Order: sequence, then structure tokens, then C-alpha cells
Amino acid sequence: MRHFTRIALLTVSALAVSGTALKAQEATFAVTAREVGAPSYNPITGTKLNSANSLIFDRLLLQDADQSFHGALAQSWEQTPDGMQWTFKLKPGVKFHDGEPFNAKVIEWWIPKFAGTENAYMVANIDKVEVVDDLTVRFHMKAPDPNLLFNFASSFMGVPSPKAYDQLGDKFGVTAAIGTGPYKMESFTVGQQTVLTRNDDYTWGSDLSANRGPAKIKKITVREIAEDSTAFLELQTGGVDLLYTVPTDFLPRLKAEKTVKVMMIPGTEIVYMPINVTVEPFTDIKVRAAAAYAINQKAIWQTLYGGVGTPANQFLISSLQESKVDPKFAISYDPARSKKLLDEAGWTMGPDGVRVKNGQKLQVKLWTSNGTEFKRITEAVQAELKDVGFQADITVFDASSINAQYKKKTEHQLAVRSYSWTNADIIDWFFSGKRLGYPNVSMLDDPKAEELNVIAMTKSKTWEERVANFKAYHEYILSQYAFAPIYEPANIFAYSTKRLKLPEAIRGTRLTSQTILDADVTK
Amino acid sequence: MFGYFLKRLLLLIPVFLAMSAVVFAIVHLVPGDPIDNMLQIGSSPERRAALTAKFGLDRPLVVQYGVWLGRVFHGDFGDAIVLKQPVATLILTNLPHSLALGGLALLFSTVVGVSIGAAAAFFKDSWFDRSVMGLILAGATIPNFWLGLLLILVFAVELGWFPVSGARSLDALVLPVLTVGLGGVALIARVTRAAMVEVARQDFVMMLHAKGLSRRQIYLGHVLRHALLPVVTILGLKVGWVVGGAVTIEYVFARPGLGSLLISALNQRDYPLVQGCLLMLGVAVMLGTLLGDLAQAAMDPRIRNGLR
Repeated sequence: MRHFTRIALLTVSALAVSGTALKAQEATFAVTAREVGAPSYNPITGTKLNSANSLIFDRLLLQDADQSFHGALAQSWEQTPDGMQWTFKLKPGVKFHDGEPFNAKVIEWWIPKFAGTENAYMVANIDKVEVVDDLTVRFHMKAPDPNLLFNFASSFMGVPSPKAYDQLGDKFGVTAAIGTGPYKMESFTVGQQTVLTRNDDYTWGSDLSANRGPAKIKKITVREIAEDSTAFLELQTGGVDLLYTVPTDFLPRLKAEKTVKVMMIPGTEIVYMPINVTVEPFTDIKVRAAAAYAINQKAIWQTLYGGVGTPANQFLISSLQESKVDPKFAISYDPARSKKLLDEAGWTMGPDGVRVKNGQKLQVKLWTSNGTEFKRITEAVQAELKDVGFQADITVFDASSINAQYKKKTEHQLAVRSYSWTNADIIDWFFSGKRLGYPNVSMLDDPKAEELNVIAMTKSKTWEERVANFKAYHEYILSQYAFAPIYEPANIFAYSTKRLKLPEAIRGTRLTSQTILDADVTK
Repeated sequence: MFGYFLKRLLLLIPVFLAMSAVVFAIVHLVPGDPIDNMLQIGSSPERRAALTAKFGLDRPLVVQYGVWLGRVFHGDFGDAIVLKQPVATLILTNLPHSLALGGLALLFSTVVGVSIGAAAAFFKDSWFDRSVMGLILAGATIPNFWLGLLLILVFAVELGWFPVSGARSLDALVLPVLTVGLGGVALIARVTRAAMVEVARQDFVMMLHAKGLSRRQIYLGHVLRHALLPVVTILGLKVGWVVGGAVTIEYVFARPGLGSLLISALNQRDYPLVQGCLLMLGVAVMLGTLLGDLAQAAMDPRIRNGLR
């Protein structure tokens, strides 16, 4: 009997030891609200992909935080001076999770697959793909498109295995997702979790990681948690080891946790106030400028966000070259100028602190989306507008309703919105005359802006030319006071130092595979 | 009894049709549309028009309703626009989670609710009755999601007994079941107590007392049995609530289920999915009511005779 007990004890402890050893190689990550519910990992047809996507699929290129391009599946690339041909050299020895080789033939198969999908526009300028040799591929363009590099670095440009893709059809990305990435998809439950196991054959990490070989963590479970408070409690209790995104208002609570490390990388988001230029009183550019100069970006950044992120003074995130506009176009807090402009426009201060013109009060609608953060920032904007003589009445909508309201084109005046994008072409999306109402909430339809748009979007041959053209377009939009910039949040993520070790400096525009390759579990 | 059953069943057809129309109208009359949630930054206005046409959203609402209803009668709920999967598949993968949570919660509230209600009626007007009923009144007014967060803080964060969220193990069910169940306890206990007090005033109870039966025998053997009639009705209504009523709780505990599915579908205005989910919930309520009525009729002949 004693003998039996000893064997049982030994077995149990052996199991326990192997259990912890196994556990030590595992980590649980969580994607929060914004990324919950991505329906598939199909990079070609997907319109919503979560952060785990970058662990399964590699792309041709990656971008660093300074927006510079680095080779991933591509080793090098060059462009002809007229911008009509791009030649890409591919990395040798790359294999998909199903053992299929990655080569020029894959690219030749891949590009045409985008036709007719939501993401078709990304490769729309490619006329045809030529296989030069096994590892060299040449794109013949319909029109020059310096933005091709950005598109190839996009998360929708993960390269899937042609064999698996054609075999699985609609099921690709749902029942299985085969890429060349450092992790293989083991299982995926929409809205719940994705289980990933290490790709032991991986040796093609980019120069954005110290580790180019197989990842250090054996197994990663990526959970989807819709409620930010729940995600925070999971991190606190060890249910998850890393949160991909953290709202700024959770920072103080996270910083109070001794075993949690909070990391910040340059932001990809801008919070701004669009101004409907076609509705009174904002048809008057002076009133628009007055509203824009009334916003105290620094105060909002300090008091609401505790100095995290940066105050925004133009429309693009600060890491983009196109955001470096001539200082005379940048919009920053200037209440004296704001009041002067309103006086010039004929709006005189009334006894109740609200300006009046021809018996009409300077009373405007200020719209916002639901969500604590939006409401707080909108209240701050309301108070600042009040200081120069605007009475702004806040209405709160849910995200889908507010878009429908914008489409009516004449109902809205001011709003507080945000976008997340890392390319200057967002100016086209929000200010092009082709998209009035929504997404062009400002309703800007101006011949000069349209002309600059066409030049920036279609006439640039090289990246430098494109930057210059977009900068000119950006400056013109600023000069029209079609919006007021407010705030540029930082990208924040947090992890448990009890469980994980991450590199000190995070390379890349987001927390993606190049960082996870260098991540390890603590011993 | 069979005649009664048939009549009740036939009555469901107009109710179903009315419900489907309301479900369809509500979803489409709310501002917003699913295409906004599918378009990528940079895609052209023509692309939007093409997508709208592809999903038939440019057709008159009546036509869209007709097409949808026709498909539903063939058991086809269509494909979710944003999630791009058959609505039926999405519902079927989420339903078991809702059934587990709702079923256990219903069981919990029934057992605990009836016991507490019976005890309160037995000790009517005592300090026990008053304090239990007071507590329950307080319990019924606590918002569900708040109770959920409170339970998470105490039992998951402080004590570490249960996981904070998810549906990865059975113990992850305990806190959500308690959260949903405690809300139901209040209702069922109050109904049980009121019904028992009512029944206890009737003549046959007086006669039982006169016969010399003990109070315990009378209450457990006779009064409770008669008092269960309204409880059964309430439970029937709650079957619909079992399927998807725990919406906020599924959200707080990051659990899959019809509720979470419905919320995300609503946020994205994924019409076919919202319609499918709402229809499922409606049918569950309808069938629950039917079950409750049938159980009542089986227990009380006066009801089934009343409909003749």
C-alpha cells in the first residue's frame, strides 16, 4: 500500500512538473474591444483582421515605427524611374505551414486573387505579374503607384498558401489558415479565441527582430475580450499575459500594478473635430477658423490623458512625413485669434456669454459617438467653444447611427471623431468631393482640393514625389479649416512581467510578429 | 387536452407572422447600414453601390421582407453580411453556450426561488419573512452587469476561485450562472410566496387544518402544489430569457452565446444576423409561453375548458 502511494505521488508530481514545464512555454494574449469578432483570417477577402493575423501570415514588407520599409518575404526591391515597373527579390528557403514552397509563382497566383474583393484597390494599379525567375517577380503597372510599398506592408497583404487557399475556398481562414508566419493556427472560434502553435521551421524573420529563427514561445492563445474592464481584470489575475491595446483611461490602474509593464509606441490614431463647411454659420471660413482655434489641444492632452500621446495640430499622425506641414498651416490653440475672427465675422458677445448676429445665437450642434472616452473629450471641446462664445449642444449617437445621420449631409455641424490609419491617403478618404456626407463629414467639395487630390493620389511617381504632393494637399485642407485637430493617442499595450519578457524597444507601427519573435516567457 | 393543444398551436401562426414583420421592420428602420462596416478606407463609392446591390439592400423594404420571409419558411436564414457565414451556423454554434448558461440559471433560480418563497410563506410575517423578502427586493433592483462585476471582483480577483471570463472550462460557468440566477430568484420567490399566501386563505386549507394535519404537511403537501401554477407560467415566459436574455452578462464575462452574437450584429447592423437572432429569441418566447400554458392546462382542467 505504501509502495502504491509512493508511485502515485511520484506520478502526480511528475505530471505536475511536466504540466508547469509545458505551461512555461505558453502565453495567453488578449485582443480587446476594437478587434473582437473578426470573422476570419482570410487576408485577401477580410475587411477586419485581428492582431493574431500577423503571427500566421508574413507579408512582403514590414514598416518600422518611423514608417520606413523593411524586407520580410521580400529581400530587396527596386522601381524604374517612370514608376511603371517594380522588381522584387524574394527570400529563399521560405515554406508554408503545409510544406508548400514560397516563390515567384505564389505571387503570380496571389495578386489576381484580389480582383472583386474588398481589398482589390490595393493592387488595382498592377497590370500584370511577371515571373522572372524562381525568386524574382516583376510588377508591370497600369499607373505609377509609390504607395505599393505601403500596401505590401499592410496586414491585408499576408500571403496565404495557394494550395490550401484554393482547396478550402470560403472556409480558408475559418477552419484553417495556412501562411508562412512564425505560428500555425491550431484552432479558431470566432469572437472567442485562436490557438497558435510555433512554426519550428521558421528561419526568415525580418531585420526588425533580433531573433530571426523560430519563436521562443511555443504556444500562444489569443483571446477576444469585448469589455475593457474584464480584459484588465484578466491581466491582473493572470488569465491573460498580454493586452494588445489598452484604453488611455486604464493607464493609472495598470501603472499601479507592480507586475504589469505598460509600453507605448507611436500612435496610429487622430481625434479631430470635423466642421460641416456647407451649413450655417460654418459656411463662413472665419467662423470655422474661430472654432478650430478655440480647441485647447494641450489642455485636453494634459488633463484628460495625463500627458500620454501628443496634442494634434494637423490631420495626420506625426510619424508620417506628410504631417510635417509648414508651421503657418498647423492649427493650435489661439483664443485671442478665435475671438478676433468671430468679431470680424459680425458675431458680437451677448450678455449670457453666447455670441449673437442679427438676433441669431451662435448655437451649434456638436455630435459624438457613445463611449466614455468620446463623451469626455466632447465635453472638454464644448467647454472650450463656450470660452470664445459658441453654445455647442452635445448629441450622442452609436457608431452606425451617426454615420447614417452624416449621410443626410445637412443635419450636422460639428462632431468629435477619430480614425486610425498610417497613410496620408486618409486625407482623400475624409475630404474628397466624391465621398460627401460620409466619410467626408466636413462636406468639403472644393475645386482646388480636388485638383490637389488627383495629383497626390494618381500623379506621383516616386515616394518622395508622393510625400510632397500629399503635403501640399494636406496644407490646403488645413487652410480651409474643414476640421480642428485635437489629440493623437499613443498605442498602448501591457503585459505581465511575471510571465513574459519583451524587448525594450518595440519596432514596427504596431505590436506584431516581429516583436513576438523576440518575446519569451520568464523562467 | 389535444384539442386545446391544437388550438394553441394554430394561434402561433399569426403571432409568428406579426413577430417576423416587427423584427424585420425594427432592424431596417434603425439608422445605419452594414455596408459602412465592410468598406475599407480607400474603396470607391461605386464599390459601395455594388455591395448594396449585391445584398439586395437597394430594393424596397417590402420586397426585402418578402424575400427574407420566403427563405425563412424554407429554413434558410441567409448569410450574415459582415460575418460572411450562414446565420444558421452562427446561431447553432452560439446556442449551446446560451442554453447552458440560461438553463442552469433557470434551474438555480427555480430551486432556490421556490424554496425561499415557500419558507417565507410558511413563516409569514415573521422576522425571517420580512428580512428575506427585503433582501430579495434589494436583489431584484441590482443591475445584472453590476452584480456580475461585483462577483468577478470578489470571487475571481480577490479569492481567485473562478476565472474572470471566457468559456474555456466548466468553472467559468459558475459566476455567470449565479449572476443571472440571482436575478430570477427574486422574482420566483416573490411569486411563490404570494401564491402560497393566497392559497392558504382558501376553504380547503381551512378544512385540512380542521382535519388535524400539521402545518408543515399542509404547506408542503397541498398549498405549495396549488401555488406552483403561477410559478410555472412565469417559468414558461422565462424560457425565452434562457436563450438570449443574458445579453449583458455574456458581454461582461466575455462568453459566446446568442446575446453576444446579437450585440455584435446590432453594432455592425448585420441585418440577416440580427433578424435571425431576434426571430430565434421570439420563437423561444413563443414556445416557452406555449409550454407554460400547456403545463398549466395539464395541471388545471378549468383552463383548458375555458378556451372551448
